Amino acid sequence: MFQADPQNFRELKTTTRPDIMLRMIRNEDSGEIYVGSSDAKVYKVNPMAEEPEFLPFEGHTSYVMGLVDTGKYLVSGSYDKSLIWWNKETQQQVRRIELAHDRWIRNLAITPDKKHVLSVADDMICKIWDAESGELVRELVSHIKISEEGFPNMLYAVTVSPDGKLVATVDRIAKIKIWDFETGEELKELEAPKCYTWDAKARIHAIGGIRSVSFSPDGTQLAVGGIGQIGNVDHLGAAGRVELFDVASGEKLHMFEGDDKHKGLVEQIIFHPSGKWIMAVGGDHNGWIQFMDLEKKEVLKQVKAPMHVHQMVVTSDFSTAYGAGHNRLAVWSFEPKPEPEPEPQDN
Amino acid sequence: MSVNPSRRRFLGGAAAAGIAASSMNMDVLKAEALSNELKKNGKRVLLLWLAGGASQLETWDPKPGRLTGGPYQAIQTSLPGVQISELMPKMATRLHNTAIIRSLNTQIGDHGGGARLMHLGRRDEPNLKYPDMGSVLARELGRPDLQVPDYVSFYTATEGRGNAVGQPGFLGARYAPMFLTTDNKPAHLSRLEDITDLDHKERADLRALLSNRFAKGRVSESLGSHNVAYGRVRGLMSSEKLFDLSDEPQKIKDRYGNSLFAQQAMVARRLVEAGTPFVKVARAWWDSHGQNFETHLELVTELDHVMSTLLEDLEERGLLEDTLVVTLAEFGRTPTINASLGRDHFARAWSASLTGCGIQGGTVFGATDEDGQHVKDNEIGAAELFATIYKAVGIDPHHEYFVGSRPIPLVDPGTHAVDEVLA
Repeated sequence: MFQADPQNFRELKTTTRPDIMLRMIRNEDSGEIYVGSSDAKVYKVNPMAEEPEFLPFEGHTSYVMGLVDTGKYLVSGSYDKSLIWWNKETQQQVRRIELAHDRWIRNLAITPDKKHVLSVADDMICKIWDAESGELVRELVSHIKISEEGFPNMLYAVTVSPDGKLVATVDRIAKIKIWDFETGEELKELEAPKCYTWDAKARIHAIGGIRSVSFSPDGTQLAVGGIGQIGNVDHLGAAGRVELFDVASGEKLHMFEGDDKHKGLVEQIIFHPSGKWIMAVGGDHNGWIQFMDLEKKEVLKQVKAPMHVHQMVVTSDFSTAYGAGHNRLAVWSFEPKPEPEPEPQDN
Repeated sequence: MSVNPSRRRFLGGAAAAGIAASSMNMDVLKAEALSNELKKNGKRVLLLWLAGGASQLETWDPKPGRLTGGPYQAIQTSLPGVQISELMPKMATRLHNTAIIRSLNTQIGDHGGGARLMHLGRRDEPNLKYPDMGSVLARELGRPDLQVPDYVSFYTATEGRGNAVGQPGFLGARYAPMFLTTDNKPAHLSRLEDITDLDHKERADLRALLSNRFAKGRVSESLGSHNVAYGRVRGLMSSEKLFDLSDEPQKIKDRYGNSLFAQQAMVARRLVEAGTPFVKVARAWWDSHGQNFETHLELVTELDHVMSTLLEDLEERGLLEDTLVVTLAEFGRTPTINASLGRDHFARAWSASLTGCGIQGGTVFGATDEDGQHVKDNEIGAAELFATIYKAVGIDPHHEYFVGSRPIPLVDPGTHAVDEVLA
């Protein structure tokens, strides 16, 4: 494998768009990239093309907030509450579950064997679907629907452990649930309360929540991301925050926080295959990528992104990263910057 | 200019007690007969002040399918062809009493300036302090025969409280608001436990006797205001129970819910039911520069529930016919969505709603373009909105006060009410 070094991480290319690119996946075999947009479409695109073409998949009626590739199909979930199975070649709908959830679908995940698709939504249910037939297999239910303060809770993200045995879900009030995939039993509840700010006095509403969750490659650790405590809840006015837990014990292992120049939400956490460092991507009005060393427990590097990054994918060899975000797509490289050609010298 | 002393007989509002009326002379003789007639009609106004600026796109003027529209869908209302945000399913079923105005262009995009404009209905003038809507309505609709406060204002959140103008201006402190910030009950309104009611009354009588003796032969505005303030004390004390929800039936409490906004809306209903002509319930803080859609999911959901419950409650009690319920803010929010998925300040094309008294329910006035960036039809400003509110409760918006010899109309000259939304 390519020995990716965060210190070499650099931007290669950006593409400007009028819409907000909210989700992104990449088929490792074909190299195809799909993005979910605020214009309710899914697009197939090659961000490295000189003038990238955006091939639309049309069918949703609101923001596309989840994308997974089953191999055979592309599956998308939207704030319109529906799930759509797509033929990747024809861009046609193969199946549509109109009311997959009662409220906004916030995100999708897929099991490592690609046999099941998981969806989370603001009805506070995680639903597990058969990736081939679209049948509902089971529901994971226990996140509360209304916060203690009386406002709707939101179920932001879901992930599956590398061995496919565990599911983790995270919500607005900063609760983390770990479930047994096969039985649907809730195994553990953890929390990262600093990720949720309730302002009872000045503005009387909340902000924050856990927005991202990932298992480590060996499945022993769970990382969750969001934003720290915010003084003025009008803005994403605190540093991005990542908390790391031991899955077996539930013990909180460490907390990473960016500096004041990197405020906003951690929208996604990506573990390097070595398990030694992670990437946290996100932003507020600006975007960033942060690299965190899990062994030294320190922030390795913070890079400004050309946009608030909503989702990133990295090639399996960790040589290239693609990001979807606010009005832009971007491409980064982990490869060392080529040395400039030496100037020819006169005798 | 002559002054009608009867009009300054009351110095009202607990907070205003003891404060002298404005030194500016105000001639109200011309309006006296009309004003008294209006008061008999028992009209009231209840303002739901959405402090910080609620988004018109997530409430009354959705733009589904446009990039500016955000993620929420529009839903069909009880009015054919009229859609509002899906965050307002309860209001969608009961728009028959409501008029939506979608064409406000008020130009001022900062909190302080915008809030002043939307409280006063006009811009400030260096040499004249205008009264705010509540003070005007307290004066025009307040009934001397009732003991209730004329102008009650709730604002519990701390952010933006200073912008929520409660300003009697040249009308004088008699029409200042009872401003409740820390509790839903007025402070220091209860009679001390170690004084009997008879003691209290006799003390008041003694004070009045001495004061009247002192005032005999003296002409003083301050002295008059002083006595008016004391004259209202027992009336205000007797209205304390209006702020106490303990005797409200449980089923009514359950309908409103437990949120602070709901509790204050319930007190507001009790006040207007008892005759208070103007109540403002401020719900802060809507200033969603970041995470607009999450914030509006919280706040519009609450507004939809509280507002629909309040309207239903007023209607069931037969009060809605005489009570105008207004939703208003200092401005709306930008159609353009920023990178924090927020919306910023926007005064160029936004919305308000009017429900109940004097309103032609089921009307939509004005329109914005397909992206909500500009008013397309029937643009109005703050003055037109204020003229409409005054006219809805039977007040001639062109009625004039006099400050010295200067005539001051209720709204800026040349302003017309939006008759299309009036019954």
